[in-house]
Order: sequence, then C-alpha cells, then structure tokens
Amino acid sequence: MPVLEPLIELGRGLWTTFRSMFERPVTYQYPEQKRPVRPRYRGRHVLKRYENGLERCIGCALCAAACPADAIFVEASENTDEERYSPGERYASTYEINYLRCIFCGFCEDACPTEAIVLEDDYELSFTDRRSAIYPKEMLLEPVGPEAEPTPQRTPPGLYTRAVPEMEDPKD
Amino acid sequence: MSKTVTLTIDGKQVTVPEGTLIVDAAKKIGVDIPVFCYHPKMQPVGMCRMCLVEVGRPVVDRATGQVVKNEDGTPQIRFAPNLMTACTTPVSEGMVVLTESEKAHDGHRAIIEFLLTSHPLDCPICDKGGECPLQELTMRHGPPQGRFPYEDKIHFEKHFPLGELIYLDRERCILCGRCIRYQAEIVGEPVIGFYQRGRATEIVTYSDPGFDSYFSGNTTDICPVGALTTADFRFGARAWELKAEASICAQCPVGCNIVFNTRREAKSGGRVVIKRVMPRQNEEVNELWICDKGRFVHHYTHSAERLSRPLMRKGETLQPVSWEDALRTAAEKFEAAGKEVLVLASGRLSNEDLFNLKALADGLGGRAVLYGDMGGGDLTTLVGVGQGTNLATLGAGDAILVIASDLQEEAPIWWLRVKQAAERGATLIVANPRATKLDTYASFVIRYANGDEVQTVLNLAKKTDKIGQAFAEAENAVVFFGSEGLGLEGSQRLAVACAHLLRETGHVGKPNNGLIGVWQRANDQGAWELGFEPVADLQAAFEQAGAVYIVGADPFGDGRLTLDGVKERPFLVVQEILPTPTTEVADLVLPAQAYAEREGTYVSGERRVQRFYAALPPYGEARPDFAITAAIGKRLGLDLEDGSAEKVFERLAVTQPAFENLTYARLAEVREQWPIVGRGDLYYGGTAYENRRGLGVQLVPAAQREEPVTLPEVQGEAGPRPEEDEWLGVPVTRLLDRGTTVLLSTLLHRRIGEPFVVVHPMAAERLSLAEGQKARLTVNGASAEVTVRVDETVSAGVVLVPRSMGLPLYEPMKVSLKAL
Amino acid sequence: MSLAEKYPQEVERILAKYPPEHKRSAVMPLLYLAQREEGYITKAAMQDVAQLLEMTETEVAAIIGFYTLYHDKKEGKYRMQVCTDLPCALRGADQFLEELCENLGIQVGETTADGLITLEEVKCLAACDKAPMFQLQSGEGIEYYENMTVDKTMELIEALRKAGKEVE
Repeated sequence: MPVLEPLIELGRGLWTTFRSMFERPVTYQYPEQKRPVRPRYRGRHVLKRYENGLERCIGCALCAAACPADAIFVEASENTDEERYSPGERYASTYEINYLRCIFCGFCEDACPTEAIVLEDDYELSFTDRRSAIYPKEMLLEPVGPEAEPTPQRTPPGLYTRAVPEMEDPKD
Repeated sequence: MSKTVTLTIDGKQVTVPEGTLIVDAAKKIGVDIPVFCYHPKMQPVGMCRMCLVEVGRPVVDRATGQVVKNEDGTPQIRFAPNLMTACTTPVSEGMVVLTESEKAHDGHRAIIEFLLTSHPLDCPICDKGGECPLQELTMRHGPPQGRFPYEDKIHFEKHFPLGELIYLDRERCILCGRCIRYQAEIVGEPVIGFYQRGRATEIVTYSDPGFDSYFSGNTTDICPVGALTTADFRFGARAWELKAEASICAQCPVGCNIVFNTRREAKSGGRVVIKRVMPRQNEEVNELWICDKGRFVHHYTHSAERLSRPLMRKGETLQPVSWEDALRTAAEKFEAAGKEVLVLASGRLSNEDLFNLKALADGLGGRAVLYGDMGGGDLTTLVGVGQGTNLATLGAGDAILVIASDLQEEAPIWWLRVKQAAERGATLIVANPRATKLDTYASFVIRYANGDEVQTVLNLAKKTDKIGQAFAEAENAVVFFGSEGLGLEGSQRLAVACAHLLRETGHVGKPNNGLIGVWQRANDQGAWELGFEPVADLQAAFEQAGAVYIVGADPFGDGRLTLDGVKERPFLVVQEILPTPTTEVADLVLPAQAYAEREGTYVSGERRVQRFYAALPPYGEARPDFAITAAIGKRLGLDLEDGSAEKVFERLAVTQPAFENLTYARLAEVREQWPIVGRGDLYYGGTAYENRRGLGVQLVPAAQREEPVTLPEVQGEAGPRPEEDEWLGVPVTRLLDRGTTVLLSTLLHRRIGEPFVVVHPMAAERLSLAEGQKARLTVNGASAEVTVRVDETVSAGVVLVPRSMGLPLYEPMKVSLKAL
Repeated sequence: MSLAEKYPQEVERILAKYPPEHKRSAVMPLLYLAQREEGYITKAAMQDVAQLLEMTETEVAAIIGFYTLYHDKKEGKYRMQVCTDLPCALRGADQFLEELCENLGIQVGETTADGLITLEEVKCLAACDKAPMFQLQSGEGIEYYENMTVDKTMELIEALRKAGKEVE
C-alpha cells in the first residue's frame, strides 16, 4: 500500500540506527583512556641521555639550523671535569624550543649528530600565554635512569678527552 | 709599465703583470682554485698541494726559439705530465691552465681525502663550522665518502692553550703553516713554530706569555680549519647565527675597519650583545688585520654596570630621574653659567657628537676643551698627509720618521705597515729616548735624551748628516710624531718642529707626504678638526667655570682634576656610558650610547673619515651623545641638529672647509680591493669580512688645497731634563692599560699586569731596587705602589711611568721612587 | 751562568764560522754545545742560544724538535737505542726488546727509575749481521754493543750502574 512504503524506508534507516547502538564504539574515553601512539609519532621533543646519565646534546645547534620554523634556540658552553654535562668538550647551556613556532616536522631529529633530540610521544601541550610556550632545557631533558647520575656530574680527569662522543649511524 | 703576460685559464684569456701566480691570475677572472696553505699576502710555499692544476706551455723549437704551431695556426701546447701547484707557479706567456679537468678534479679529491683521513669529526662543535674553508672545499671538491677507517684516526691534544687568548686543537691542524708564516713573515715575531716532524708535527709556542704577539688573533682568521680559535669567542655561537655590522675600532687612531658579530644572548637576559670582532678589509688602512686589543675588548658594551638612566644628585647620592628633568636642569645650569660654561670632550666621541658640543659651547660663549695631553692637531690640519695616502705604497726611495712614539704599543697596525714599508726598502728613521720594537727594521736609529726631541728634528732639518740627507732626498716622506715622554707642551713643540722639517724638505701637500699624529684616542684628530684643543692647566679651567659639561672623559679617575681645595665647585654634568670616578662626583649624569649602538664617523690619524654603523640596540634609556647635546641646546634656544647622525654630518660638512663635499653616501662607497676576500670565495684570504659599507675618504690638508700655510714658530728650547739627584718621571703609553675597555675584557686584562715603572739599571742600583721589586712612586702628592722594571736603553735619571695605570703623570715632572 | 760565560772560546769559534749577518746559522753547533753537560738542552740554555743569535725561543725550540739528536727533556744517563728494523727483527730483535722492557720495568721511550737508562727504538744501525744489537749514546759518545742477549745486556747495565756510583 502506498502509505506503508515511506514507513518501510524509515524503518530501514531506523534499523541501521538501532543496529549501531549495539556496535562496539571506537571512541576512546580520553583522558581516562588514551589511544596508543604509533611508532615514529612526532610529539614533544626530548633531549636524550646516555646510559651513564650524561646528556647526549653537544650544543652544536645543527637542530636550530635545520629547523624550518626557527623554533630552537641554543647556546653552548664548555664542559669541565668538575661540572660535566656531556661526554665531550661542549654542551648546550641554553636549549629552548618555542612550541608556537614548531611544526613537528622532525628535521631537528634528522640533523642531530648524536641522536640527542628526538620527537617522542607527548602531544599534551597547552599553554595560556606565549612565554610558557617556550620550553627550556629542564622541561625537555629526559629524566635520569635508575642507575645513572643526574647532570652536572663530577667525572675523573682523563676519561672524557675526546671532543665529540663517538657517533654511530642511526639504527632505524 | 711593468711587463704583462697573457694566458688562458679554463678557456678564458687573462692578462696579468709578469710574476703573478696562477692562483692569483685565476682569481682575477673569477676562477676559484682551491687553496689551503696559500695566502695572497704571504709568500707561497706549496705545502698543502690543494691547488693542483694542469699546466701546459707552448712548445718552443729549441733550434729556432719560435713557438711551434699546430696545423690550424694555434700554438702547440705541451702539458706537464703531472699536476702543478698553482700557488707556486708564476704565469708565462701563452700558458694554458686547466683547473676543472678530470685530472685536476682527481687531484683535488685525493688531497681532500688525505686531509680528512685524520681530521676529527668535530664539525658540530668546532667554532669554525659554517665559515670553514675545509668544509667548503670538501663540499666542492671532496669525495662523498672516505676510505680510511675511523678507528685509525690519530689522536692528538685537543684544546691546547697557546697563551690564554688562542686555543690550538692539534687534531684539526692540517699543517698548512699559515699561522707560523704569518707570524714570521708579516709580523716578524716568530713566537709559534713547528715542533717535531712528519705525522707528529705540532704547533708550539715558547714565549712567555704564550703566543706573545699583539697580532695573535689574526692567525685564527687565516687558519683554514678550526685548529686555531680564540678563547674569547669559544663556543660563543655558530657562525651562521651571527649578524654582522660594519664598524670602526675605537681603541687607537689607526681606525681599523672591523665587523661586530652580534647575537641575542640568553646569558645576558635576552639582550643582543657583541659576540666577537672581526676585521673588515680596507687595504688603505688595516688590510686584513686587527690587533688583539681591538679584537678582545668589546665586552664593555654589555657590562652590567652600564649607565641606563639619567641620574641627578639629590643630597649625597645620585638618584634616577627622567630625561625631561635631566635635560631641563642641564639647560638651566648652562644658561645661568653663560660664558663660564666649560665643555670638556675627548677623542672617544664621534665627529657628530663633537660638532654639536662645539656648537653648544660657541652658542653660549663658553670654552670647548679637548681632554688629552698631546698637542699638534693644528699642524696635522695644515700639513697632514695628503689625500690618497696609502702606507702600503711606500717603499724604496721613500722615508718614514717615527719620533717620540713606541708605535707597536700606541698603534699596532701602523707599526705593522711601517715595518712592511721598511722591508720594501723605505728609509725608516726611528727617534726615541729608548729602544722600541721598531728599531730592528730601522735604517737609522736616533737615541736622544729626554728633552731633546725638538733639537733632534732641527738637526735633521739641517741635513748635516746622512740621516738628514736621506730624509730630505726621499721622494715621499711621512713623519709620525707621538707623545712618548712628552706632555701637551712638549708634543706641541715637537709637532711644530716636524711640520717645519716637512715643509723645508718639500714633503707636504701631496699623497704619501705629511704629518701623522699618533694620538691617544681614536678621534683626537677629528676633535682638533672641529675646533677642540687641550689646555695646559685643566684644573684652573675647571675651577673658573660656572658649569662643566664633561663628555666621554674621566679626568677625576685619571687624576687630572681634583675637588680637593676647590671652594666653589661648578655644576658638573657628566655624559658617559659606564660609571667612573667622574660620574661619582657629578651633579648630573646622562647615559650615552656606546658607539656600537649608533652610527657616526671618526677621523683616523691619517685624516681618513670613516663611518661606523649601529650593531646593537640602545642600552636602557641611553641616547646618542649628539642627540643629548642637541636636546640641551634646543632648550637654550640654540639650533642644534638632533635628528640623526647623518643630518649632523651634513651641517658639519657645510661649516668645516676640510669636510667639504663629504656625505655619508660618499663615505660608504666601496671599490674592489685586492686580494679579493669575501665570504663566498671559499676563504682564499681568510675569514676577514669583505668591505661593503665604506672605505672612507681622506681629508685634504691645507697644504694640498694650495692654501697658504702659516706654521707657528719653532721653539727650540729643550724640554725638561732630569736634574742632578732628581728623578724625572715621563709618561709613556702601553697598549694594554687600565683603561675601561681593557679592564672590562674577559681575557685581555690578564696581560695588563701590575702598575710598573721602568728605570735604567744604574738608576735601579742607586735606588737599591731590583727588577721585579716593589717600590713606591710619588708624583704630585699622589703615590702608588709599583713594580720596578729595568731597561738599559732608558736614559739615566728618567723614570718611565705608563699612562692609564692609575698614576697621575701626564707630562714630564719630578717624581720620587723609593723601595718599600 | 750563561752559555757564553761557560764556554767563551767555543762559542767564539762557532760564531766565527758564519757571517755576522747570518749568525743564526750557528744555532745547530751551539745547541750541540748546550747539550753537552746534561745530555739535554735546558730551558735556560735554549734562552741563552736564542739571545746570542737574536732568535726567538720558539725558533730555537722548533729546531730542537725537528732533529732527533737534540733532546729537550731530561732522560737517562745512557740512551739505549735498540734497532728493530727488518734484518734485526729477523734475528729476534723484537723479542729482545720486549724482554728487555720487562726486565727493566719500563716501556720503550721511558727511563728507568734510577735515571740510568732510557730505552729507545731506532732504525737500522748497520750492524745487521750482529743482531740483536743496540747503541749506547751518552755524554761520553756512542758505542755499539753487538750480538747481545738479554742476560749480557743486564750485566752491562749493572756494570754501568756500579761505574756511575764509583765516579760519584
């Protein structure tokens, strides 16, 4: 009957809606549940350390030079054995990333010769004014491992005599 | 017309003077042959083998001596079987050079590969990175990968200090020898050398202090790798992060062209600071070099002590006030004082500042006094060196007289240029009361007793001996007069005598002829040009004034002025950049900008007007000196220009005949210079900066303008001499003194040393003093503890007292020296 | 006392060999003279030579550094220079040197604790058929010791030690 046909179409649509009530939701209940980050995800930067706790960053500012958004500011200083930050002559005494400029492209990670700056999983960045968008070194440094000492460290003289730590090809 | 040679380089024909090296000939047509050990200012040695090229010469038939021709009429070219070094091979007629052939490319690639076998992977932390010839040439000529195992790289000492100013990294050194050859050939002070040989060769220094030369910083510019770096700039910034701005060094009257490299720094709270000073090429002034004082004393510009706000004395202390209040007070006091205003300015100020100050003084009917103890500026205006003077062109047949000046201490780059002129054959006459470092290069050394300066010059004028004759017969002659052992009166009389000598021998009014004053400050010549003159009795002038306006001078710190016993002290307005003993006693302190924060011009001792540009943003509320003066003047109803330095200069050029036709645009003109240096040319001449901001213009002296020149009469009486049983203290100048700029430097101040005096060994014996012993020097009531040094060439009875060491001696006067 | 004061005639004689405007050519014989007393050139002696010839200390040091026969560090009274070039090595010079090092308790290039012997490794001394061998260099001159064994060498060192004590 002509009166029923629209009702049937309506029923079909409503059936789809009704069926979807019982489908498994793909919603993540953020922030209680968080979607796992994929490998090679480019989130907030982390300045990595070696296993003994010394920083990898040698203050070379190649990341700053590579950055297309001019988001990184680096100032370097000299290491001494009494106050050592990195296993070489030079370390970054000032390291700042401006997250309002950063485009998370990862060029800095590519440029780094010691694999010091990497983009890791943290995407939960929010700030309420421009100043707090500039993350200084303390906010970017990786926390020290359980068996390692924090920097600055006191190291025996004669142990770290090379100018730059041994650099290897990236593993992945 | 010297003989020329035509040759073909990479298919392009070029004609050059005979004797030119292939590498220089190629540079002239824009072909950059890679070099490491070659430097256009030094003799080639062919040590690095980087400049390998294929060289072919026309085949010449031995029997007939004629060039053998091909079938098509072109000369037959025979190429050498091996590559030749372009830097050691002079050009010859018809030569064919291939710099980009496959063989040449193979050669370049091989040399780079060899150099990199043991070169450490330091590029990320090396200060030279970004301006490194090795980096540039590797990118251009090197192999993409080295075949040498990384683990086998030889390890040497890194970070080895050659003295406290220069660091040597022995692993990076490619043993090109540029630094050693520079010190030996150009400076003549071989204080660095190669030690050992073969792969173990290293650079060493055995002088005390290490690398004891005022020109040591230049070796870091010419080092083609990061082996020699300055401790001052170590890890300061990467080369590409620095901004460059042209300026003029303000430490001595040479007026070396420099570049300030600046960067915003977190360490100083986000301010833009000068990171380092680099030379700028000006072949007529300083070529590619600057001395260590100019290089390492820029730190005062960002000292935390800088004055940033006007201060007014309220009660006992100085309180910050607004500019409005400060300027109004100054104007009121000056108006009240009227004709009794004393303007005391020094040669630290630019021409624009001095012009406005003179206008202010004239407008009020007051006095404009130059702070200084050296006279003779009126003579240099009349018979100064002619326009077109270039010390680099002096040589055989010319004469240079250096009198009463220790040139290496007072103007190091002039010492270098005069030395080079002497080595080219110029007759160098050094007249001084004691030995100086210029004596070794002198053709004649005149050792006169203190007080006989004028007599020495008069003797030369008489032409009775061969020295006088050599001077008179020289084609061109330049006289440098200084203030060694002289005060205002003595130097004035000396200058007059020198001017007469020059005129009588016909050495005035043309280029490379005339009088040069080795002033004590950068712009003393400019101050004289603009009408400032020193006065003998500064204390009297001070006490007679109703209001005193001291700009850029520290008379109370130098002991030239004192408030002791002054009953009615004048109102004291002091305009300065840093707090000094003078600002401590001031009634009103006005903060001025350092010259690096604004633009302006200086007149060098050779009367060259040169522009400097703003490299830094202004500090705090400081304003440029000329603007402050103009603001005060405007409140007094005077028409002073305060818009910009250029506008002030325009007025200056109109009112001063010597500055006629000069404009900022003219001063900024540049010409192509040789050797071609520039940062895009793979650092052929080192990392000195190309000059794109102005070569300056020399003023024309009255003699050259063909005006009648009336010289004051010569006063031939002898100056003060040591009396029997008395000690005559005479002032001498040292390069590193306790002046503000050196004291605030971070490294150079260690070389200043303690205050000292120099006496003859016999004098030391009479006083029972030994070298290195401490003694008490009393001069004019003030006394200080000094270390005693001994020099056999000093006159007996004379005590040399260095200026700016805290001892208030500014002209020969009686002193007492006692053991402690 | 400066060099010129200690050996005035020798210095005169040496300087006389060269034209006065090129007196720096006398640097090498003067350095030999300076080395005579202590077996090495002291800093004071270096300064003396530099002053005499109007050169800088660095220039003199560069010459000392270039030649292996000039020494600027105090070393042993006797320099035992063992040849380890190919023919000697084929006759056991390498093991000889190694055992010697062990017996003396030092490495090549070092000096024994009593300051008697400095052990050095040098190139061919032209006594290939009498290897292992070494030369002893000292203030008294150069002497070859050929066909040596470790035992014979240790005996020689003992003898030298005793002789030195007697002289003192």
